[in-house]
Amino acid sequence: MLLGAGAAGLAITLVGGFVLGAQHALAAYTVAVGAVLSASLSALVLTMCFHLVNAGWIATTRRQFENLASLAPVALLLLLPALLIDLVVTKGALWEWMNPELAKTDALIIAKAPYLNPVRLLIFFVFYLLLWGGVSYRLRALSLEQDRTGDRFLSLKARFLSAWALPLTALTIAFAGFDYFMSIQPHFFSTMWGVYIFAGGAGAAMAIVVLTFCVLQLFGRMQGLVTSEHYHDLGKLLFAFASCFWAYIAFSQYFLIWYSNIPEETFWMLERTTGEWKGTGIFLAVGHFAIPFFFLMPRTIKRKPLFIGIGASWVLFMHIIDYVWIVRPVLHHGGHAPTPASWWLDIAALVGVCGIFFGLYVLRVGSSALTPLRDPKLPEAMAHKNYV
Amino acid sequence: MSMITDMLSDYVPFMTRKAKFATETGEPIWGVMAQFDDVVNAYHAAEKMRDAGFKHWDLHTPFPIHGLEEAMGIKRTILPFVVLGGTFTGAGGAAALQWWVTAYAYTDIAVQGKPYGAWEPFTMIIFELGVLLSAFAALFGMLMLNGLPRWHHPLFRKDRFLDSSDDKFFVVVEARDPSFNPEQTSRFLREIGATAVDLVEDA
Repeated sequence: MLLGAGAAGLAITLVGGFVLGAQHALAAYTVAVGAVLSASLSALVLTMCFHLVNAGWIATTRRQFENLASLAPVALLLLLPALLIDLVVTKGALWEWMNPELAKTDALIIAKAPYLNPVRLLIFFVFYLLLWGGVSYRLRALSLEQDRTGDRFLSLKARFLSAWALPLTALTIAFAGFDYFMSIQPHFFSTMWGVYIFAGGAGAAMAIVVLTFCVLQLFGRMQGLVTSEHYHDLGKLLFAFASCFWAYIAFSQYFLIWYSNIPEETFWMLERTTGEWKGTGIFLAVGHFAIPFFFLMPRTIKRKPLFIGIGASWVLFMHIIDYVWIVRPVLHHGGHAPTPASWWLDIAALVGVCGIFFGLYVLRVGSSALTPLRDPKLPEAMAHKNYV
Repeated sequence: MSMITDMLSDYVPFMTRKAKFATETGEPIWGVMAQFDDVVNAYHAAEKMRDAGFKHWDLHTPFPIHGLEEAMGIKRTILPFVVLGGTFTGAGGAAALQWWVTAYAYTDIAVQGKPYGAWEPFTMIIFELGVLLSAFAALFGMLMLNGLPRWHHPLFRKDRFLDSSDDKFFVVVEARDPSFNPEQTSRFLREIGATAVDLVEDA
């Protein structure tokens, strides 16, 4: 059903591309892909962190992080049609530097040509695909093999893999952030960008996993394996990533740009914090930071599946708004702002991408045991308790 | 209110501490101390003390016992709210001070060409001062709620109590507990398994 809705949404997006212009359709599509791509990548990083620190309490819940992470290459492949269309057909409708005219005349784009060119873009794309696909597949496969054999040393293998793959994944997330989201406006640069992409994604990944357990428990699964103690700790991470860490990074990025006051950087923030997008910027600060901060702070909220489910849904919503705020202001260039009525295209693209992505996610969740059955840490995780 | 006077009485003993009971030699009684010899007895004694409705009592053990707070019926601490007060004081104070300085008092000094009263540079100091006063509130609030620091405690006069850092467990009931009575409480403690019960003089 989700996959059907996804296919329909993508078809409508394609139609919208002809009706409302390629730029709008590409932007709407990139917003949706960015939201799911960053979430699945952050799930990959979190899975590796859990292996590296030998976390005990996470053992009953780690399978869902693995499932989410294993969709990172799928999300990346979803981005490929948009990149190819903009490279070949529409010539820089969204990613400005792909416009061959600008590439010859714009001094800054000429200066950045050694990085911003199609060959490098596609080589890096293939490298990301192999790295993320390989690592996430291997981590999930090791965990599934442990379900069958009960071999304790598979956990050590996963930890060894995580040790070298974590720095590589962290760097590739930063570069993917430059490639697909920062280079939409190639004049802009920010050194906080990679962390910003991860921070938003990590909150969304926690939210997706929390919601997965809320839904599973609603249908009577995972009873006793995920207790209010696990919700409490997942909620702490949700609170930390979605609200505090994201706000810390977002503010640091804004503050450095505000403080140094360099035109190549400030134009990007000015577009998003003054004028038409001022309201969205303020909504982002309040909705992504303040509301989850005060809502998720009390202990009782984090321990009740209903309340933390509400909090997680809100975080996911704000994650999408975050990408709207990053990508969509480019549509307002040149004085032709899209009318509010044209938001149907954005919603269609969102339904399309999320339908495909979460359809595959549901299939992944259903395709294996919901918890790592013979993980050596399972007894510790089942007895997990917060003593404070 | 009673919580505040209880807390103050730890620092100012003559404020609320009027001995209701005295020993045969006329010394005021601070409370009763009962020794338990193993964990299981001490744990179940804690449950029975909780169910009997005692309020001012404590259990001293040589090592942490998981689940003891439920057995003793200890409520969650109010410390988070003390910390929240510290946070708002720090953050609010920082915001007010900086706003007063940059937007009101010294508007003849332009700093780096930035607008007067710009909120951006406030943020770090609001955060830092909020965290600092939160940490102070957490540390000193914890000490206050625990009645610390203090020079001396009546239990220290009992040599037997030294075993509480070795291998014995002590249930201690204070005389200010409303249902305290030297004879009845001692009898109750023996009934729930105490191997030795002592009156503790106030000194």
